[in-house]
Amino acid sequence: MSAVSGWWDDFFWGSLVVVELFFVALIMTILFGLIGAGAKLSNNRVAKSIASGYTVVFRGTPEILVLLLFYFGSAITLTAIAQIFDPEIQFVDISPFWAGSFAIALIIGSYATETFRGAFLGVDSGQIEAARALGISSLKTFIYVRIPAMWRLALPPFGNHMLSLVKDTALVAIIGLEETLFVAEQAIGYTGKPFIMYMVVGAIYLGFSTIITITVTGLERYANRHLDVTR
Amino acid sequence: MSFDIEIILNSIPKILMGIGLTFELLFLSLVLGTVLGIFLLILRISGRWYLAWPTIVYIYIFRGTPILVQIFIIYYGLPQLEFVRDSTVWPILREPFGCAIVALSLNSGAYLSEIFRGGVLGVDRGLKEAAAALGISVRQRFIYITSPIAIRLCLPAYSNDTVSLMKSTALASTITLLDMMGIARTIVAETYAPYEVFISLMVIYLIITWVIQRTFTSIEKRMSRHLRREA
Repeated sequence: MSAVSGWWDDFFWGSLVVVELFFVALIMTILFGLIGAGAKLSNNRVAKSIASGYTVVFRGTPEILVLLLFYFGSAITLTAIAQIFDPEIQFVDISPFWAGSFAIALIIGSYATETFRGAFLGVDSGQIEAARALGISSLKTFIYVRIPAMWRLALPPFGNHMLSLVKDTALVAIIGLEETLFVAEQAIGYTGKPFIMYMVVGAIYLGFSTIITITVTGLERYANRHLDVTR
Repeated sequence: MSFDIEIILNSIPKILMGIGLTFELLFLSLVLGTVLGIFLLILRISGRWYLAWPTIVYIYIFRGTPILVQIFIIYYGLPQLEFVRDSTVWPILREPFGCAIVALSLNSGAYLSEIFRGGVLGVDRGLKEAAAALGISVRQRFIYITSPIAIRLCLPAYSNDTVSLMKSTALASTITLLDMMGIARTIVAETYAPYEVFISLMVIYLIITWVIQRTFTSIEKRMSRHLRREA
């Protein structure tokens, strides 16, 4: 353990990067999932087929491939765009943080699309009809009736998506983001002790997974509190 | 920025040279992972706490940490330990291929045992009770009554997990293995054409995913043919 002692602060900052990446990607994931589910449930054939294409592609290809495609691809595209305005510019690239969070959000968002779609379909249509009969507008029905009812159904699978999300953040070290795995690589460069350093990274991720699991269990209890007859 | 057809045509045959390694990684770790998963399942449902608890901890650790970290611990971390270098498994852990197989098998074993458990728990209690009433022993009940039904119940999840495992094989490229992903990364480093190379690889992976899903769908159909109504 003595080898790790000088690196705790670096691991702490690395963990903070993981947390940041997690929340940024989580917000985008929910957004992509809702848009995708909306498109799949709409009557628009173009939107439907785009959404199905999205889920097929991002659920069927390795995460690392999507990540590398976004990171290197965006650099080429941005450089080309920048050169239109200023031919002097040699190279422009997107930061690993944003490339990583965007790529991860697209991947998990494709899973969330299916989850949200199923959850929206699971909401009792009688509730929506009742809201309409009461003269509640469709936007308000969506926000106050469909979202709360759907959220309860989507939570258990979405908790698993959040676990996948936090674990996928480890991949962003490959494109050079200074998160825990990257810190471990630097620490190994100095100390030459890979086993203990990677074990620390594993322990940090296990901690994150535990926190997410506990949070989701709590949220599920909160979402289902009106169903709890013992109260 | 341009989309170079020539690079695509040149890189696809090169990438496909790695398909053998991708399939080897997939099949070997799927078989070993399945065996491990069944073993863990039997310990888990044995009803003895000293067998069940270590299994729960194992599953918790392997599902709670990123597979990339697991691969790094096994490939970079274990050789640091003296007793690993002296042990009989050293010839396997010395090679990146062996490390990838070990990591992928240990990881998928944890996920698969949970899937199998879901299948076993899904078997109707009445069937087991009926078998017990007929005087069929515990072991025979598990082999002849529970297993066939449980296998059918967990096939869809098993299919999804096979696809996840296929996606995880791409991480073998991070420990110098030249599977399809590894070769694609080499080509991108040489040509700097991420779009052409990575999108071609994406299509190849999508085809493999499609084949896996089709195979499992037909197995599932065959296994549940007695449930379909006669036309």
